[in-house]
Amino acid sequence: MSNQPDRSALGNLQDKTAIVGVGTTEFGAIYRDLDPERSAYELGLIAFREALKDAGLKRTDVDGVIVSRLPHYGRMCEMIGLRHPRFVNVLPGEGRQSGIALQYAALAVANGMADVVACIYGNNGRSAGAKYGGESRGISTQAMFEAPYGMTSPGAVTSMMFRRHQYRYGTTTEPLGHLAISNRANAALNPNAVMQRPITMDDYHGARYIAEPLCLLDYCLINDGGVCFIVTSAERARDLKHTPVLIHATSQASDITPVYVADDFWHEPMSQIADDLFANSEAQRDDLAFAQLYDNFTPTMLFTLEGMGFCEPGEGGDWITPERIGLHGEMPLNTGGGHTSESYMQGWALHVEAVRQLRQECGDRQVDDAQYGLYACAAPLATGHILKRDN
Amino acid sequence: MTTESQTPELSYDKPLPPVLELTKPFWDGCREGILQIQFCNICDLSWFPPAEACPRCLQDDWEWRPISGHGTVWSWIRMWQKYFPGWSPDEYPYTVALIKLEEGPYMYSTLVGIDDADVSCDLAVEVDFRKVNDEITLPVFRPATT
Repeated sequence: MSNQPDRSALGNLQDKTAIVGVGTTEFGAIYRDLDPERSAYELGLIAFREALKDAGLKRTDVDGVIVSRLPHYGRMCEMIGLRHPRFVNVLPGEGRQSGIALQYAALAVANGMADVVACIYGNNGRSAGAKYGGESRGISTQAMFEAPYGMTSPGAVTSMMFRRHQYRYGTTTEPLGHLAISNRANAALNPNAVMQRPITMDDYHGARYIAEPLCLLDYCLINDGGVCFIVTSAERARDLKHTPVLIHATSQASDITPVYVADDFWHEPMSQIADDLFANSEAQRDDLAFAQLYDNFTPTMLFTLEGMGFCEPGEGGDWITPERIGLHGEMPLNTGGGHTSESYMQGWALHVEAVRQLRQECGDRQVDDAQYGLYACAAPLATGHILKRDN
Repeated sequence: MTTESQTPELSYDKPLPPVLELTKPFWDGCREGILQIQFCNICDLSWFPPAEACPRCLQDDWEWRPISGHGTVWSWIRMWQKYFPGWSPDEYPYTVALIKLEEGPYMYSTLVGIDDADVSCDLAVEVDFRKVNDEITLPVFRPATT
């Protein structure tokens, strides 16, 4: 990269803002109850109501709204009776946007654009029959140069990257199995998770292929749900119900290519994010009580661990062991069950899990000494944060 | 119109690429057995998929130029999931490859003339063509012979 920007100003955001309320819909219950009339807005509304209650705030305290996957902010604001918001934004329904929603909320609050920002996500994909593959209409690159070969779906591009990783480093699918099994074991301790029946390595190796080398158990679920988190200043947060969860350090980096994949498995953006986070925090890797890693497909977690320096490039396969990544291991991963077992809320529920862990509310799946926790999403547009329990 | 040219059209229901003013030269080339991509006349950069301007100069002073047709398999998958109509049951799993062209850009395609068991990343390949109908001929890749 030429012209290295000065990234030290990222530290200006440190501990200025906090997540003060989180809410979700039910995930497991509505998975088994398809409803073609279930709207994403309704799911967002339920999550918003839960988050407000959790924060101990009134509807009228909210003066900023960021929506994602919801087509229009107007309908959401109308449904929550918010006629005069002073900060509004709409983010597309891509998983990489959940971390960005938190960043915008923190920026808005820290700079006086709003006092209380509600970030609202609603996803009725399962009821609406979303397949996340097979699109071939219009004049997109996908329709013109991928669909004619049957190339489609985010899972297939991730599978391409994983095959390359196998070739380059000799990685096997065994560590992916460990990730899927660990997610499921955590979900079994999460009453709201969609998939709670534990799985074994035999189950993993016996699962049907979707885009080989990846199989069904490498894939996120497709389910309905809504998530909301509410952000305000750290100062105001200290007068509210819960111990504030501070937005301690955050960063964004990218590698945008026409074919989605990155030859270095996103090492460059993820290592940039790790550098930013640890340069702007008293916490280092060993101080993190957990990592919530974006797991649209299990290899994404492996790429994130390598990119963020938990191990060297190519060593992820050896680093990922059940002992290390389990709830009481040295780096518990996706403690609520992640996208493969809890709920596919495109990163939003991973944020909620991080907050609940830091507030020590996770019951049987609570990790030890949760003072700092990591969220990270590897993708062409990548994000990461360190969240911190206020002292 | 002969029977030969009608038959594949009637039986072909895999996705077909829409042909735009921008991409027509690409498909015209494929029909004649020539793989070409855009090159900037100012800075010589080449790129794919097609775009209205050079991503470096941002100028529209570019032209289509034939390329070597050589590349390597960056990676490949076998697709088992039935996302699209048009692939018959006995065609599953089908192979999709991401080709790194010798000139730099990447291109999704498929492989011919090789068993899946023999495919590997970094395999040297060269372009071949498969006629679909009178308008569309798809570039595909086979193991390099030269």
